[in-house]
Amino acid sequence: MDRTSETAGADAEPWEDHRLKIRGLSKRFSIPGRRPLEVIQNANLDIAPGEFVSLVGPSGCGKSTLLRLIAGIDGDYQGRIEFEGRLIEGPGLDRGIVFQDHRLLPWLTLAKNIELGLLNADYSAQEQRHLVQSHIELVGLGGFEEAWPHELSGGMAQRGAIARGLVSQPSLLLMDEPFGALDALTRVHLQGELLSIWRAEGISMLLVTHDVDEAIFLSNRVVVMGSNPGRIVRVFEIGSEVRANRTGDEFNHLKQQVLEAMGEISESVFVV
Amino acid sequence: MDTVSQKGRQIGLAGGVESVESARGLSLTWVIGTILPLVILASWQLASSREWVDPVFLPAPSTVVTAFWTMLTQQDLILDFLVSINIVIQGFVYGAVAAVVLGIAAGLSKRFEQFVSPTFNTIRHIPGIAWLPLIVLWLGLGAPAKILVISKTVFFPVFLNTLQGVRGVDEKYIELSRVLKMSRFQLIRKIVLPAATPSIMVSLRYAAGLAWALVVVAEGLSGLQGLGFLIFRAQGLLLTDQLLVCMVLIGLVGFVIDRSMYVAERRILRWRQGFDG
Repeated sequence: MDRTSETAGADAEPWEDHRLKIRGLSKRFSIPGRRPLEVIQNANLDIAPGEFVSLVGPSGCGKSTLLRLIAGIDGDYQGRIEFEGRLIEGPGLDRGIVFQDHRLLPWLTLAKNIELGLLNADYSAQEQRHLVQSHIELVGLGGFEEAWPHELSGGMAQRGAIARGLVSQPSLLLMDEPFGALDALTRVHLQGELLSIWRAEGISMLLVTHDVDEAIFLSNRVVVMGSNPGRIVRVFEIGSEVRANRTGDEFNHLKQQVLEAMGEISESVFVV
Repeated sequence: MDTVSQKGRQIGLAGGVESVESARGLSLTWVIGTILPLVILASWQLASSREWVDPVFLPAPSTVVTAFWTMLTQQDLILDFLVSINIVIQGFVYGAVAAVVLGIAAGLSKRFEQFVSPTFNTIRHIPGIAWLPLIVLWLGLGAPAKILVISKTVFFPVFLNTLQGVRGVDEKYIELSRVLKMSRFQLIRKIVLPAATPSIMVSLRYAAGLAWALVVVAEGLSGLQGLGFLIFRAQGLLLTDQLLVCMVLIGLVGFVIDRSMYVAERRILRWRQGFDG
């Protein structure tokens, strides 16, 4: 606790303002006989309580690696990652995670899969049942408690994965391209649902995506990363009035700016 | 929410339709499956009544049925049958349990696999029957020697399939177990064991067949009880009708064992989206 307040004091801000605080984060992959690959170089990022942040960038920019470092699945980095004032040491139930594949266990029913999120949480059996049921309802899967994962559509399975990520009541939900494998219509539908889940739960969310449209529609802030080496290039604040109209001029203007920052379209195209 | 619960009901409905269809399919399966046995039985009866074959070599089906009744009522057929079944069940259970436990251990630990695999691979190649003479010397002519030999025969296919099943667990599920903070035991119980179950079930079904076949040979070679003993005694005494009774019985029991293993497999693996052919 002492060390925590010290670090917080250095920035003259209490940690309560920063659910997640990343300072000078670098990560290298070294392949024997080759120059070590700098996947992330000197990244700084804060996420406030209840904030929705998206990471976008070309493939290979380290956005998934950054998410895995925050989740505690990967380690071995330079710099600091603080979560609620503590340095991250491995995975924890205080950070939920949703992968691109739903990763529901095929031998467990939907309800049992979601219950896995509480396997090592301190809740009574009754509280567990209540939490599982309320999260099934939250993602709109009521009536499918006893269904096997293979009986669910891709979109339903991914909702199940979101429920499993949320059931232990984390204060940060990490999502690694959660809608990447879904068809366009289901994806738009689930984006809307994710937004209402976020509003209902009031927790912080970090979304990794390559879909700029999705990032702007969902986020308070869009963080653009670049590759070689992987680094944070620009951060866009998204006003709520921009997000409200997905086909509006402001939305499109911002989208072009983000794409430009990603290096997807050149300046000249943007001017024309 | 309404549409969602409606969808739930639709799934239930679809399940109902499916089971009606499978019931119809089942009766058709029975009809198709019984054609060939009936043809064989009819040719057998024809060959005997036209006296194409000497009754000493092939008695008529009716004679075999009479012999069955005599063995059942005046001799100890039931006792011999129970002796054989008892040996098979014990040998199967001991062998299978040891195989699953050691298979998981070897699957989880490369060191343990390296420790046991040269020994196991050598023992594996000595057939169960080749072990029998030595084991009979140690344990005598009774049931324990046969149980041990059957356990050995059941052990290896199940051990190898369990090992392979554990090694085949998707890396992504292991990562999930870390995210969910699962303990080593929870990992085995919730992920490794279920993931390896399809592979284990296949080997159990195969091993059950091996065990039943082996008990007949083992009883023929040692001891004075069991279906295997009866079959070799009938040959020695030229009681061809009794010999056929034993053969048919062995075949039918083998069939029942395989069907029950299949049903158990379907039940245990009902979470799997399978191709039914």
